[in-house]
This record gives sequence, structure tokens and C-alpha cells, in this order.
Amino acid sequence: MLTSELIRPRLRIHGSNLRIEMVNEQDPSLQQKAQDLINIFNRYQSQSQAAWEEAVRAYEGANVDYIFIRGLAKVLTDAAVFKPLTAPLPPATLREHIFSYGPVFEKPDLFHPTTRQQVLREVADTLELSLDEIDEIMFADRGASYRLMDTGPAWTPSTLLARYNLELARGALYWASHITIEVASNYKDLWKFIKFFKLMFWAQPGQDGGYRVDLDGPISPFVSSTLRYGRQLAAFLPALLLCEHWQMQAYVRPPQARGEILYRLDHSCSLRSHFKSSGTFDSRLEEEFACEFEQKMGEKRGHWRMVRESEVILLGDTVMVPDFVLIDTRDEKRRILIELVGFWHPNYLKRKVEKVRAANCARLLLLVYQGLNLTEETFDGTASEVIFFQNKPVLKEVMQTVEAMANRIYGPCPKLKRTKKTK
Amino acid sequence: MEASVFFQGGTLVLQDNNQVEQISILFQFVKNRWRCEAYRYHEIVSWMKEQGIRNSVPRWQPLKLDLHDTRELHEYQVKALDAWKQGNGRGSIVLPTGAGKTLVAVHAIHHVSASTVVLVPTTSLLYQWYALLTNVFQTEIGVYYSSEKRVHPLTVTTYHSAGDLIAEYGNSFKLLICDEVHHLPARTWGEAALMTPAPFRLGLTATYPEEHEQVGERWRLDELIGPIVYTQQLETIVGKQLAEYRTQRVRVDLTPQERATYESLHETYLGFVRDRELQRKYGADWLRELMRLSAIDPHARRAMLARRQLLALLESCQGKYAALEELLREHAGERILVFTESNAVAYTIARKYLVPVISHETGVAERKHILEAFQAGRYSVIATSKVLNEGIDVPEAKVAIVIGGGVSKREYLQRLGRILRKKEPLQAVLIELLVRNSIEEGKVQRRQVPREKR
Repeated sequence: MLTSELIRPRLRIHGSNLRIEMVNEQDPSLQQKAQDLINIFNRYQSQSQAAWEEAVRAYEGANVDYIFIRGLAKVLTDAAVFKPLTAPLPPATLREHIFSYGPVFEKPDLFHPTTRQQVLREVADTLELSLDEIDEIMFADRGASYRLMDTGPAWTPSTLLARYNLELARGALYWASHITIEVASNYKDLWKFIKFFKLMFWAQPGQDGGYRVDLDGPISPFVSSTLRYGRQLAAFLPALLLCEHWQMQAYVRPPQARGEILYRLDHSCSLRSHFKSSGTFDSRLEEEFACEFEQKMGEKRGHWRMVRESEVILLGDTVMVPDFVLIDTRDEKRRILIELVGFWHPNYLKRKVEKVRAANCARLLLLVYQGLNLTEETFDGTASEVIFFQNKPVLKEVMQTVEAMANRIYGPCPKLKRTKKTK
Repeated sequence: MEASVFFQGGTLVLQDNNQVEQISILFQFVKNRWRCEAYRYHEIVSWMKEQGIRNSVPRWQPLKLDLHDTRELHEYQVKALDAWKQGNGRGSIVLPTGAGKTLVAVHAIHHVSASTVVLVPTTSLLYQWYALLTNVFQTEIGVYYSSEKRVHPLTVTTYHSAGDLIAEYGNSFKLLICDEVHHLPARTWGEAALMTPAPFRLGLTATYPEEHEQVGERWRLDELIGPIVYTQQLETIVGKQLAEYRTQRVRVDLTPQERATYESLHETYLGFVRDRELQRKYGADWLRELMRLSAIDPHARRAMLARRQLLALLESCQGKYAALEELLREHAGERILVFTESNAVAYTIARKYLVPVISHETGVAERKHILEAFQAGRYSVIATSKVLNEGIDVPEAKVAIVIGGGVSKREYLQRLGRILRKKEPLQAVLIELLVRNSIEEGKVQRRQVPREKR
């Protein structure tokens, strides 16, 4: 991520709104500069980080767009791998050796009869190194001496400029005290990243489906607009870009603003995420279950439609995202949630059971693998239904239970004329 | 379910409060839960008892600590410690740099005999505490900062990393020690103390912020740590416990060529500042304005570049290296610290004179090695960039040479304090290298330092 001094100059304040001066990814002159930097970077393969930074400074010259140039360079540097030189002996050992002679000078005196040159030659001889090697190894473990080993992704001017824009947007969040997002899909990924970046969330169902989620940290309510979680919020932003429909409001206090102002973004922006969205299925078991459902119950063969992870059960400071939602196509209000409890680690299982108990959700059907040491008593007192299975869930049994649950919760479905397919 | 209070990310959360008759006014209903800041812990203990609420906050543990330290406390240290104990183990002790604040803290830890977290401003100090606690208690000491994260019942962390440590392990420590506690009222610095439930708290500093210095800051020190329990001024101790010191200024000339470069850079830089009347229009913010302009106006950009080159020239002109070399020869055999403004110059000195360097890049293991070797006399010179600025313990240093200009008053005093920290009453000297007829001389005049002898 960019350092704050590379972000600050690109922030524009309009009343109570923050705008970021992003770059036009199509601008030929900017494309040229991006290409120049990519070329320089590639030329510095296997050279030191200090040398690369020096080259950037030279490229910058006395130009006034140095903030932009440094920003691109930082993006390149962050995505690359720099490694220390493999030295015949640890640099610290060499230093210990050499510095035991210091201070020494070019010219000897009474108290320093040995000159610097003599010391270096002596050490070189003892360690069987050349003077050049000594010079090179002496501080080879400093970050500045690390060599550029891997330049990272195959950058093009467009991808570099696009990533730079994303990093600018992230940078605005360094000064965020909290953000509010509205989302309508991709809950599992979102939840995964919210937890990963240790943010605290507060979700409410939105007006037109979806959820409105406030994100900050535990101490936030007490330290008015603490920026403690700004870095985590910035790190989180690409996760939001994985969603299809979303909007975000960030409450920010950049240094040049007098008070709290708003930074807004939504899915119409051109930013692209570099996070990978997780695959459709978490496990083989889920995938097979979904396939079997499609084969046997999909299309016109039944009146249930299967949707992946499209509902969230809110549980105070955590959530549960059931694997599947079955929607009755005759009456879309009739929805049964299905959670597959497969071959999991005992700790994970323990948390899962706690969540099921906390959810106490009558619409939830659990399909539990029998080899898990879980018995029916485990789920005693919860409103959810449980089916145990041995190898894989038996679809027929599952569908029977789903029908029964729907009838129990929603009452019998009025016999309708065959409805049109909802797809 | 029985009501309980637990620790979460720096807050205390009340759970299953149906049976609780009266919820303490310190709690707020936030995000579906009753919460309060963790530092309020000591205020809610009796309320929890009254209401029969299970206290799930403490995860701290009693420790059996043996003091492997032969140093006896001085009278003022004993008084300071007693005053802190009298204040129920809450409050700040104000002692001058070098008067043995850490030793007082060690005894405070021993007194509480429970898991303790120490907050320090720099990694140098983190190392120093780490080494001291390791020696004194002969047990494994945790460190938690940017490059290493190991948590033990006795852990040292930097203010910068403390928030993350406390958010996760805040309730593992019964005693909180804040070194250089004057930083605490500032934005973000105090958050970790706010997030810690530790009922015992000790602040240490040489410069307790005045009342007016705390106005407008986020927190007041006494709220987070407790009141000042003991104060001892510098004058009382100098001559008894600390060595006398003197300062000396060495003025050097630029070579004719450097002078020409200097004048040209000076004109580009300050000429622009003068022409645009930045100082008149923007007052103390003029440099920030220049920086802002440099991203828009090519003249401003050139002025900024000239400024950077000018500062680099002043720090690494030939005259300063010549003077440094003379001083190193003159003080041969004595323990010398060389302070630089930039990393680059510190490493240049290391290569040029083959002396060890300590910068913010130096890991704890090598830092330990260098300082111990310096103490033992195997190294007589250490070059260091800004890292040794705050209260590092280098008792053997007798001479400090300051190469870079641009030293603020507090920094200056801290550097002084460091070479003052002596074992025997030898006179210490701080030597400042200045370029004659340059902006460096102006800086010195603006700085008021007491007790100077020319």
C-alpha cells in the first residue's frame, strides 16, 4: 500500500465530501510514464533496492508530478520480491570482525598505527575474500542492499495505472474512522475478509434486499473517530470490489480537512480488485450436492430453486452464511436454508455448533456427516432440523424434509397453476 | 445465564445482563452490547461484586519473580516507589533522565509480582528494557514490535505496536508501565493505555507535560495512569548522581567549491521562500506550503530539491568529516557516540572509519552485541542516526559528537541526558559540529539551552 505522503497531495475536499484525484488510465502521456517506469524496473532486475530507488529519483528529475511517479514506483516495489545477496558469511559476522579495528583512518597516527586499507586487506586475507566482496557484503543485509529478484506481475501501463488508482482509493481510508457498505451478494468472501482484517461489523437487512454493514473496531465508539482501524479498512477495500452491487461511505479525517468528511464509492467506479474471490464451492461435498440437485431437481423437475450463500443469519457480533438457500418458485417467500456440515476440524465444528444454537433458526436444515462425533443431542433445543448422512446426503430425504419444513413454517402452499419458470 | 463482563479488543463487554439491576454508568449501549473502555476496569470491580456479575476480565497471572540485581535503590528511588505504592499502584514518577527510572520500575514489577506490559517509544528503548528485564528477572521476556512479536508474561512493546498487542492480549497484564509517559496525551499514543484493563499503572518521565500542554489533547495523563506520585528535578541530582557536563561547538568552513554550491542552493531555496513571502504569509506552516507548492509549481519544486541538497551538503561537507576525524583521533581510547541526522551519513561514517552503526534497521541481536561490546570496550565508537535519541543507556559514553543540524530542544536535552548517564563522576562532553555562516548557526541561536559554557 502507498505511504500517506503519496496519498495526501491527491486528495481534494469539496465541502463535506472527499474526492481523490485519480489518473486517467487511457491518457497516452501517463501510459508512457508508466511504460518508462516498468522498463526501468525490469532493467534493475538483480540490482539493489537502493539503486532502483536512485533510478526513480533520477527519472523524477525536477518534474512536479513526482508524487505520481513515486506512487507508481511504490506499487511496482510492493508487488516485487527483493532478497538479500547470498554471502559466503553473514554480514553481521563480517562487521563484527571489521569493526573491532575501528576507528581507523587513511593516514596512521600514534594511536592508530594501522590504516583503514591495511585493516581491510588483513580481514580480506583472513576470510579469503576480495576487497570488493568485503565492500559488498558489509551491509548486504540492509533493506537498501536487497536485490530485485522477481519483478512481480507482468505489468502493462494500463494495469499499473489501474492498480495505482486502487491504491489511491485505499489510501483515503487510512484516515477512515469507520465505513458503511451496502451489499447484496458475495457474503462469504466479504465475511471472510472482515474477519481476516479483524474489523468489527454491525449489519442490518437493507431495504431492497441485501445488507447494510457498518465496519469499525471495538474501541471506535469510545475514541471518537479513532484512525486505529484505518489501515485495516484500507486493506479490506479490494474485498468489497469483488461484489457485484455495492456502495460504500467512508467517514474520513484526512490531515488537511477540518473535521470528518465523506468518501463515497460504488460499483459504478472503474476500480478492479486484485483479491481472488474464493471458488464457488468450499468443498467437494457441496459441489456434488449442488450438481446432484441440478440434475435431479433442477430446471422444470421441481419447484425449488437453489441459490448459493445468498442469505446471512445475523448473530450479534458474528454471522452465519448457510451454504444454500432453496426458494420455492411458487411462492418466493418460502425459503429453506441448508448448511452442510462436512469433514471439519473439531474447533471449527465447535464454533459451528455454537452458531447453530445461537441462530436457533427454524428455517435452517443441517446436513451433518455422521463420523463427526456429533449426535442428535448436540443440537437439542435448537429450532433447526438435522439430517445425518454417511457418505453423502440423500437428496430424496433432504427434499422431503425441506417440503415438510416449508409446510410447517409457511403452511401448505396454495395449489397454483404451473408457474412460469423463474430464471 | 449468569451475567458476566469480558474483555474484547480494548473494551469491557457486559454479557447476559437480564438479571443486572443497575448497569454502571460507565457502560454505553453500543452495537447491541453494553460496553466500556478497558481502563475503567478498576472502577467497575466493586460494582461487579455488588451486582453478582462474573468477572471474566483478568487473564493475568501471578508470577514468582526473583530479583537478580545487586544495585541498591538510592534514597529518592525508594521514596518514589513508596509514593507509588501508597497511591494504590497508580500514578507517574517524574525523575530526570539518567536518574534510574527503570530500576524503580523493576521494583514495581517485583512488588506487583504479576504479568506486566511495558510501553516504550522506540525500538532502542524496547531493546534496553528487554535486556534489563532479562538480566534482572532471568526469565524469558516478550517483545512485540514491527519486526518481532513474542508475547510472554513480561512483555515490552512500542507505543506504535501496543494497540495491536493490547487489542488481543490486553487483559493478560496486571501492571501497565508507560515509559516516557509524556507522550500519552497525544492522539493515538494514549489509545493503548485506554484499551488496557490493568489495575496497576506506572508512568515514567523526565518531562511531565504542563497543564496547558494537555489542553486540547485527547486524554489527560492522570485519567489514564493516575496522578503524579513523585517528582525530582534535575538540579537536585546533578553532581551527586550524574556527572557534570559541558557542551562545545566546533565551527567548520565549507571548501570554496562547497561554498559556491551552498550559495547557489541557498539562493534557489530561500530566494523562492523570500520572493513568495512564504514565511510572512504562512508563519510556522511555511515549509508545508512549500512542499504543497512543489507538486504544482516547478520553481517550488526546484526550491524543495535545493533544500534537500543543501541539508545533505551541510551534514556531509568535507569540513565536518575532517573535524570528526580530528575529534576521533583527539579522543582516542574514549567511548564516543556520533549522532547523525540521516541514515546515509551514519553508514558512510561506519564504512569510512570502520565503526559499528546503529540505525532503525539494526536488529535487536546486533544492537545488543554492539552496545555490550561498546560497554566492554571492544568498540570505542558507535555511529548512530536518530535512533538513540530517547533515554538509551550508554553509561560508558564520555563524548557525544553531533554531526547533523536541525536539532530540536527536546532532542538536544535527551542527547545530553544520555551522555550524562555515567557510572563514575567524569565530566562528559557534547560536541556539536556547525558550518560557519550557514543556516545551521541560525538554528543554534534559536535554541535556548541552559548551562552552556563556550
